[in-house]
Amino acid sequence: MKVLVVNNAAPFVRGGAEELADNLVQQLNLTPGVQSELLRMPFQWSPSERLMDEVLLHRTLRLYNVDRVIALKFPAYLVPHAHKTLWLLHQFRQAYDLGEVGQGLGDEGRDGVIKQAIRTADNQCFEQCQAIFVNSPTTQDRLSRFNGVASSVLYPPLNDEALFTGGAYDPYIFAGGRIGPGKRQHLLIQALALLPNFKSRLVIAGPPDSAAYADALTAMVSAAGLEGQVELRFGFHPRSLIAQWVNAASACAYLPYDEDSLGYVTMEAFAAGKAVLTTTDSGGLLEMVTPETGWVVESNPQAIADGLDQLTSSPALARQKGQAAKAAWTARGLTWENTIHRLLAA
Amino acid sequence: MKVVLASSFVPFINGGARFIVEWLEEKLAEHGHQVERFYLPFIESPHDMLDQIAAYRLMDLQDAGDLLIAFRPPAYVLRHPNKVLWFIHHIRAYYDLWGQPYAPEPNPQNQALRKALITADTQAIGEAKKVFTNSKVVGDRLAKFNGLSSEVLYPPLYKPERFRCDGYGKEIFVVCRVEPHKRQALLIEAMAHVKTDVRLRLCGKASSEAYAKSIEAMINDLGLSNRVIFEDRWISEEEKADLMAGALACAYLPHDEDSYGYPSLEAAHAQKAILTTSDSGGVLELVEDERNGLVVEANPRALAEAMDRLYRDAGWAEQMGRANFRRLSDLRIDWDHVVTALTA
Repeated sequence: MKVLVVNNAAPFVRGGAEELADNLVQQLNLTPGVQSELLRMPFQWSPSERLMDEVLLHRTLRLYNVDRVIALKFPAYLVPHAHKTLWLLHQFRQAYDLGEVGQGLGDEGRDGVIKQAIRTADNQCFEQCQAIFVNSPTTQDRLSRFNGVASSVLYPPLNDEALFTGGAYDPYIFAGGRIGPGKRQHLLIQALALLPNFKSRLVIAGPPDSAAYADALTAMVSAAGLEGQVELRFGFHPRSLIAQWVNAASACAYLPYDEDSLGYVTMEAFAAGKAVLTTTDSGGLLEMVTPETGWVVESNPQAIADGLDQLTSSPALARQKGQAAKAAWTARGLTWENTIHRLLAA
Repeated sequence: MKVVLASSFVPFINGGARFIVEWLEEKLAEHGHQVERFYLPFIESPHDMLDQIAAYRLMDLQDAGDLLIAFRPPAYVLRHPNKVLWFIHHIRAYYDLWGQPYAPEPNPQNQALRKALITADTQAIGEAKKVFTNSKVVGDRLAKFNGLSSEVLYPPLYKPERFRCDGYGKEIFVVCRVEPHKRQALLIEAMAHVKTDVRLRLCGKASSEAYAKSIEAMINDLGLSNRVIFEDRWISEEEKADLMAGALACAYLPHDEDSYGYPSLEAAHAQKAILTTSDSGGVLELVEDERNGLVVEANPRALAEAMDRLYRDAGWAEQMGRANFRRLSDLRIDWDHVVTALTA
């Protein structure tokens, strides 16, 4: 079976969606009887009238010698095919939820017409899909609210789960992932400042969204005299190094604000058998992080400090929750094998 | 600089049209350029071919990179302020193959389609800052059908340093797909006429099992099984280089091909003379009779005579083989030149 994965592309830009598309193709090619390759459609979304051209041109292209399409993004998913499965990473948000908060296309005049055209094209396309999967409950809600379309959540699996084997429970807490205001690493440092007798250490590692936020964290650490307790490792780290940090940690901490999905950081921690400390407003990961598999606290420095204190004062408890996290992860069966199976079963 | 490579493709079909793009991509990166490659879908179906071409035209890559290099049709209709073409072929059914057996029927509708296609092509190709072709044949067609001038930029081999020469033995070596159009059969017939102890080795996967059987039967029927070796399988690049290294010469005689063909280049890198025929098309851009190979009539007796000449005078075969290697630099068939020409 020849499966074409279809994604959009901004020339010379790569991000999580590009990585997911590459991995999907690779995993499909590992599946017996399946051959896969990637079609990347260049996408230019401004000025807004461009969007009409994009809709039209995608609908006009033809695919030949392809048994199935798995499409990920607008407007690439508009390319016609008789057996199309959608694995929607997100809609073209300017025509949907971002419009409502003034960051997208308005309802009046030309933009209103363009927005309506996109929604019509989307609805026609969705109607013809064999199956519609989405990458998160948030995407699912939007699709249901704006398009009245039902879908199933299919979380993207880890691409390199084999690295996250777990291991020792050394006395440090690992906080990985992107570093920025939305991920709120500053709350962790503020919390530690409230714990003068903290016996453990905190390792914060990942690429900063901005130099300003990175500088602010560095300044906070030195102002609180926490250089001995907090290690700041800014930058893109090799996956193997990230896995080492996760594998030997006593637990992980991850406090994003209202995340769409489970988040790779959470998934990596769970795969490695590490409990996760998070906050009540962190969004999608609360589906997995519970009092059994971690600590869910209010998103203020004092509550986080209390959580960190509990975590470090009872290594046995951290280990026990970590084992529960591992069990919950395994039970979920979030593997590429299952993912491919569901995508192809449709 | 930032370079966009754009070509059309049929998903899951690999071949020369992709190699040239991907090899160039690698070489551009080696020269420090940032490369973004797009393969866009296209099928040559009369009823919606123009629609698809219009869709390409609507795409907006104008701000993508400093340079866009377009290859296979209709990628050259993409708009970019600095568009350069490495033009491999037209949509040939409406150009040089028009009116021939497998081309669309020349009814009024197809005639109108052809006219629209040629008009659109002429305009879009004419927008390019520079047009390179992979052969003179293709360049001549651009002049004839579109009235456009171009320059030949020969596609080099990928990693040619793997080829070597260990001397000049008894074998004429042939490596390419085994199919009627490549005319291995003609060489086998020729072997029935040779007067010397020259040998022939045919390597390559046959286009069908039935054709492989007919080739084998032919070798047996002519009583040539002790002098003609037919290896009907995919040969690794390494094995190919090994087998070629000791050959007396190489033969490559496709019927009227556009370009010189990679087998000819491989022979040149292995310092072997090329035996070809006067109707082989693009191969003749590389091979000059008695300079770096032999060009003879496409009949068994002429080919047999040529093989005997090579066998009787291995020193001469060697001389022409060495000249064939030098021919590569005369024609500037190397990646550095390609990268410089395309990014100038």
